[in-house]
Amino acid sequence: MAYRLGIDTGGTFTDATLIDEETGDVHVGKVSSTPRDPSLGFMEATRRILDKAEIEPIEVGYIVHGTTVVTNAIIEGKTARTGFITTGGFRDLLEIARQIRPSLYDLQFEKPRPLVPRYLCFGVPERLDARGNILESLNEKAVSAAASQLRREGVESIAVCLLHAYTNPVHEQRVGEILRRDFPEAMVSLSSEVSPEFREYFRASTTVINACIRPVAARYLENIQARLREEGLTAQLLVMQSSGGVLTFGAAAKKPVFLVESGPAAGVIAATYLGDTLGHPNVISFDMGGTTAKAGLVQDGRPQVTKDYEVGATAQAGAGGARGGGYPIRTPVIDLVEIGAGGGSIAWIDPGGVLRVGPHSAGADPGPVCYGKGGEEPTITDANLMLGRLNPDYFLGGDIALDAEAARKAIQQKCADPLGLDPVEAAHGIVEIANAAMVNALRLVSVQRGYDPREFVLVAFGGAGPVHACRLAAEMEIPTTLIPMSPGTTSAMGLLVTDLKHDYSTTFICQVDKLDLKEVATAFSNMEKQGWAILEEEGVQDKDKDFLRQVDMRYVGQSYELTVPHSGTEFTPAGIEALLVRFHREHDRTYGYSAPEEPAEFVNLRLSAIGRIAKPRLRSLDSNSGTPALKTSRPVYFFERNGFVDCPIYDRYTLAAGNIVNGPAIVEEIDSTTVIHPGYRGTVDTYGNLILTGE
Amino acid sequence: MPHAEQIDPIRFEVIRNALSEATEEMAIALRRSAYSTNIKTRADFSCVLFDSRVRVVAQAFAQPVHLGSLSLLVPRMVEAYGAENLGPGDAILANDPYMGGVHLNDITLISPVYHNNTCLGYVANLAHHVDVGGGSPASIGAFREVFQEGVIIPPVKLVERGELVTNIFDLILAQIRSKREMAGDLRAQIAANNTGVRRLCALADRIGGDTVSFYIRELIAYTERRTRVEIRNLPNGDFSADGQVDNDGFTDRPVHLAAQISIQSDQICFDFTGSDVQRSAPVNSTAAMTFSACAYVLKCLIDPDVPVNAGFYNVVQMVAPEGTVVNCSPHAPVVGGWETQLRLTDVMLRALAPAFPDNIPAGTKAMVCHAGFGGIIASTGEYYCFLETLGGGYGGRAASDGPDAVQTHGQNTENAPIEETEINYPVRIVRYELVENSEGPGKFRGGLGLRRDYLFPDHEASFTILADRDRKGPRGLFGGKPGRIASYFLNSNGKTVRLGSKTTVQLQPGDIVSYRTCGGGGYGLPAERDPERVLRDVRNGMVSRERARVIYRTEIDTEAWRVNDGETMRLRSEIT
Repeated sequence: MAYRLGIDTGGTFTDATLIDEETGDVHVGKVSSTPRDPSLGFMEATRRILDKAEIEPIEVGYIVHGTTVVTNAIIEGKTARTGFITTGGFRDLLEIARQIRPSLYDLQFEKPRPLVPRYLCFGVPERLDARGNILESLNEKAVSAAASQLRREGVESIAVCLLHAYTNPVHEQRVGEILRRDFPEAMVSLSSEVSPEFREYFRASTTVINACIRPVAARYLENIQARLREEGLTAQLLVMQSSGGVLTFGAAAKKPVFLVESGPAAGVIAATYLGDTLGHPNVISFDMGGTTAKAGLVQDGRPQVTKDYEVGATAQAGAGGARGGGYPIRTPVIDLVEIGAGGGSIAWIDPGGVLRVGPHSAGADPGPVCYGKGGEEPTITDANLMLGRLNPDYFLGGDIALDAEAARKAIQQKCADPLGLDPVEAAHGIVEIANAAMVNALRLVSVQRGYDPREFVLVAFGGAGPVHACRLAAEMEIPTTLIPMSPGTTSAMGLLVTDLKHDYSTTFICQVDKLDLKEVATAFSNMEKQGWAILEEEGVQDKDKDFLRQVDMRYVGQSYELTVPHSGTEFTPAGIEALLVRFHREHDRTYGYSAPEEPAEFVNLRLSAIGRIAKPRLRSLDSNSGTPALKTSRPVYFFERNGFVDCPIYDRYTLAAGNIVNGPAIVEEIDSTTVIHPGYRGTVDTYGNLILTGE
Repeated sequence: MPHAEQIDPIRFEVIRNALSEATEEMAIALRRSAYSTNIKTRADFSCVLFDSRVRVVAQAFAQPVHLGSLSLLVPRMVEAYGAENLGPGDAILANDPYMGGVHLNDITLISPVYHNNTCLGYVANLAHHVDVGGGSPASIGAFREVFQEGVIIPPVKLVERGELVTNIFDLILAQIRSKREMAGDLRAQIAANNTGVRRLCALADRIGGDTVSFYIRELIAYTERRTRVEIRNLPNGDFSADGQVDNDGFTDRPVHLAAQISIQSDQICFDFTGSDVQRSAPVNSTAAMTFSACAYVLKCLIDPDVPVNAGFYNVVQMVAPEGTVVNCSPHAPVVGGWETQLRLTDVMLRALAPAFPDNIPAGTKAMVCHAGFGGIIASTGEYYCFLETLGGGYGGRAASDGPDAVQTHGQNTENAPIEETEINYPVRIVRYELVENSEGPGKFRGGLGLRRDYLFPDHEASFTILADRDRKGPRGLFGGKPGRIASYFLNSNGKTVRLGSKTTVQLQPGDIVSYRTCGGGGYGLPAERDPERVLRDVRNGMVSRERARVIYRTEIDTEAWRVNDGETMRLRSEIT
């Protein structure tokens, strides 16, 4: 059992990464994704990489999967037929949603259509108050009637969300029992189990998403499991969650709502791991692919996580997030700022005569003009090619021959001529405008949230990330940039370096000076028991179990909470005092002020149950302090030098640990290109990472 | 100062992005650190960046009613206070409706941005405070004059060289019922401006203050250029319509609204001559409020990519005679002005419908529909105030139904979560659902209204309805029928009575106030509605089977859930 396999299913490609736990040797592979049945691409990627590495199926100890199957099911409307049961008088929670329009000036706007049609929504008489006291007992006959109606309607799955069930689940649990008794074939998701936090629409929406993708996710995961077993793979099967940890297939099939951002989370986890191995717990991750760029932030080895997320949203951001275009979920998701600036983003002139880049993308098909697949609109990739940064004969290792002349023509006709610019100026402009948008994204995750980027290391990956990283770091004054080996498959690598993780939360609204510490401890220990049990089931040894406690806090009267970590396991007055100090500090960092004289309160308690998994060793490179072997040279444009210079080109695979590459220089590898600007130098570290620093 | 710099189109785009990001960051800071549900969850605020001549440069907001109002308000406030009296670290606060403001709840904080001792511009944010004192909790209600509506704040310094001016702060708080919330919200407003100042200074540090100013001027010119190109592409002509607010809260006399819109070449003018004279009643819109309705309508007609700044506002011409309900003079009450403003938007769209039949919806909710209440929490003795506004039906469109239960036009505030409301306030929401059969029938139907019932189990609350639409539903378009009217009820001691749309009532423990908001108007003839759409509505219980037969001329088989094609054809042939 010496190998780990990561399979990351993306929109275009399915990436495989195989790592030898003993030696740290890594194999990577790519096959086309198979959107109709993603398990085909999964199996193809698995077979190929096993062949390539010449290992037997039995030798793979565990497999981690990053998947978009959940998100796609929602976006494509391929969710299961689902019923919804709520408190009588509130049947239209999903229809009314937030009563807002997702776009402000579009007279043709639509609200997202509820995932459960109104005739499958039922209100049953019952009512709790805000403290969980029963005002009206549950009408069990009404539940039975709803169950038989839902059965007649042929639903596969049922979501239950009763008012105030986050504080007292007694009625929801009873509804669950009745449904299982009267309609045992249906899968039942209770809001008090999926996401027991107050604010009914958000909890209901989270529960409904869980319910309506459960049958889809269960079938998908079971299918993959069966195929793997058929081919002799006995490995433990895990799947990446949106919050960064992994779940077993079994746990994931019950709570698939935790998988919505499975793929993108892996990139941040990889960046976290790389930072960690090099002693940098504070990292900004920057992942730039074909259609978008994503920025995330890691502090003290922990990726920032948000609970404010919408699935399937297409609306524009604005005013701190104009929303309502998708379906909100309240499970933790790694906080990423995503912008429409990828290699395929299109440059255009707007009606006011200004050069713009994105958000429209040529995607992978037809792709940039230089791909020669029918693309006619100039893109960021075309601009980089024109500036000499990309090698037309070595794109994806030569798999795609790039047509530099076509790129130049498109930029000249569509951008340069209308603006009266030289085509090179226009290409440089395209790159600079894209860089500005990416700098904004990087500022949003750092400066805007109160972090000083100068205290972070930039980890840049994705096919296009290393092309832009040096400039972005300069703009952000980030002193150190790390370019991992094979940046195009960094996300898949992230799958292999994470821990088992189960997230729990519970609403616990209480002013800090009125806390009953025993109650706090009990609430946490209830969550811990659940986490402990599931980690046991997954075969995690006690020494590898870890429990992180966090509290959502706010000033009394506020309605937005900050999540503050609680150190240690005990709840003493001193511990609470320390928590309070941390809260004031966090508030000050985030919003620029704190009010220590104001009363603060607890809102939600959060617990992450973690099962540590040993991390694979990275392979060390041979060391060589000499100068690296030059591959070739070609003219490359650098604005710092006011034009093209004859720029040395290096082959990444021939670089040895300790090599230093002074900018201007280009380092090429199969799936990416690193641009080192004048005034910067790249140093190859023990693991083959390229570390860029200013001189 | 003459500037030799040439416009670099690349630098232009980079700076443009940085400026709009700065206002977005202000918005995030305000939204997240505010205390009240109204600002945080309902996003009832706006953040703006101005240049040194107090022209709007960039704006972040979630409520289109804030479009444009600050562009009139802030220059007047700065002028009144004297730009020369504002130094680094200062901020002035104001809400005076007769100095360019809107209703009293919307309080604006303005800070100058100094970079190397030069004023680069101003940042400002406006936030809706739940209570500003006055005659009833949440400061809404039917009042005769503005003085009854709450504290009026002329421009005063709230922050001086970075320090809170506690005298002013305390004086204002003394007028307010929910003090802690307001204190927290004001601090959040200060934090938002500080964020904006920092960001603009950081930009000036990087590229130089002169360069920032140069590109700001260019950005405004660019925006005006683009706006004029867009208007030139609109059909020329004069378009007019009229409409009404159903009553004024004191008399049953409807409030007449008239709109003429003239589009010629690259000019657009909104003229409201003929609208009623102002009243001593909650139906008066200030000039700034009315202007924002015009800006909203124009924005709906043009490419959404055109930025919003002074270059856009310069193009909006408005004729709103003083002393009328669309441009009231002192000392008329203004709290109901947004009701009038939203209705006026519906009237303007109606005027434009013949010219833009594919884009203009039938009549919408077009009222704010406030629910405000307050009282003393028995256990703590603290005075609480609560405000929210309710959605209703949107109008049917040329190719789609009007969405159900949404905010309309300038208003896009979220609903307050029931659980959060019940945790924080001594009220219980006992029903929240769609009003079946309330849609305005049409080929594309209007949206349904919603019902929300408030129960006060244990205390004597004061409750104010400030709304409308209980006499006439939103109109249909091109043969569509009007949406059902709104209605408001009080259930006390087992008896239900109808309440007016602009009323304050003192409740007894156990009383319930119930809102049923209006449906949206239909678009096109109901009998031409796709029977499959009728089927979906009947199956979903939104439209009754009888209504389907009588109004939509569609027979639904409710056993098999199918359209009875033969009977439907017969029903439809009867009318043609």
